[in-house]
Amino acid sequence: MQQDRLLKNALDLGEQMLICGAEISRVEDTISRIANAYGSKRTDVFVITSVIFLTLTDDNEKTVTGTRRVKKYSTNLDKLHKYNDLSRRLCAQTPEDNSFETGIEQIKAEKPYNLPVQCVFSAVVAAAFAVFFGGSIKDALSASVIGLIVRLITFAQSKTKVNTAFSNVVSSAILSALAFLAVKTGLGDEASKIIIGNIMLLIPGVALTNSIRDIISGDIVSGMLRFIEAMVTALAIAAGYVIAALLMGGGAL
Amino acid sequence: MIYVIQLIAAFFGSMGFSVLYNTRRTKMLISAFGGVIGWGVFLLVNLFITKSDPLAFMTAAMAVTVYAEIFARIKKTPTTTFLVTGIISMIPGSSLYYTMNYAFNNDLENFYLTGMYTLKAALALAVGIIIVSTAVHMMTAVIQKFFKKKA
Repeated sequence: MQQDRLLKNALDLGEQMLICGAEISRVEDTISRIANAYGSKRTDVFVITSVIFLTLTDDNEKTVTGTRRVKKYSTNLDKLHKYNDLSRRLCAQTPEDNSFETGIEQIKAEKPYNLPVQCVFSAVVAAAFAVFFGGSIKDALSASVIGLIVRLITFAQSKTKVNTAFSNVVSSAILSALAFLAVKTGLGDEASKIIIGNIMLLIPGVALTNSIRDIISGDIVSGMLRFIEAMVTALAIAAGYVIAALLMGGGAL
Repeated sequence: MIYVIQLIAAFFGSMGFSVLYNTRRTKMLISAFGGVIGWGVFLLVNLFITKSDPLAFMTAAMAVTVYAEIFARIKKTPTTTFLVTGIISMIPGSSLYYTMNYAFNNDLENFYLTGMYTLKAALALAVGIIIVSTAVHMMTAVIQKFFKKKA
């Protein structure tokens, strides 16, 4: 395969995997395996959470370099599974036709679960965690309704270009206000349980754990980025709660 | 009884997240049981062996990682699929949230205490995952070398 084409395709694949929620080490590993399988003499790849750098050197010491900036993520483990399959197949067979490009395009075009399904399962998650942290059945029911609304709000936010910290403040304020309202009208017992069930939908707990995993396994820059990102998000969510508590008189937790 | 309820809740929590992360069909169920195993091991360790939460988190994370590595090989899929959803009930989401809340309420003592708890929990989970995944990497490397020599 032509060096330029290989560079573009490898970057495309890496970018898509990063968007779907692959670990940094997996992206680096995949890109270098593919480049080596297609005959690159030396492959230098550096990935952090938002950027991919890739330099390929061929037998004639000719180098090409490319960079990709990744701005938006949407965790999609099904697509990740398919990209992984694709890269395994490419490494094993190294087809020279355009099955590399079409493979990526095909997976890219696949749709995630539709909005109603996502809403229902947001409701399930919110109810499950409300119970998990000690809420009653009533709490679970109001948490599930609010969970559904939260998913709608985050969906609407994903269509606009508001910055993430701000949109987290908004969703957190709305969900807290609704939880206070539910308790005031007698639909729920404890506002804090309803809130915590829904917070699980927003809070970057997985990101926090992964950031420490990155740091320990040597991807320090990515780890630090993710760690700070998680802290900012958590702060935004807490800020939203405080705004709602001040307005509705819910008081401190 | 409360433990049974928590386990059921963990099942649905993990399943819900696996759908939100777009996992399909049987993998959804595997993820859900991963959540049950994680929280189950946490409870067992916490009740019978040690009162230390971070230690229990670490053991539970190790159990989930073993489970995830096994099913990732069976299903030929990245380990992350079952790992992320399996640890979801243990991630320090609620304590991270409380930490930030204490910061806003100017309750510095509780901010420090919950903050440390959150960090320890996240660290414990990360270490548990890394121990097992490193062991698995080493094992596969050894096995591959062994078979290559034979062939």
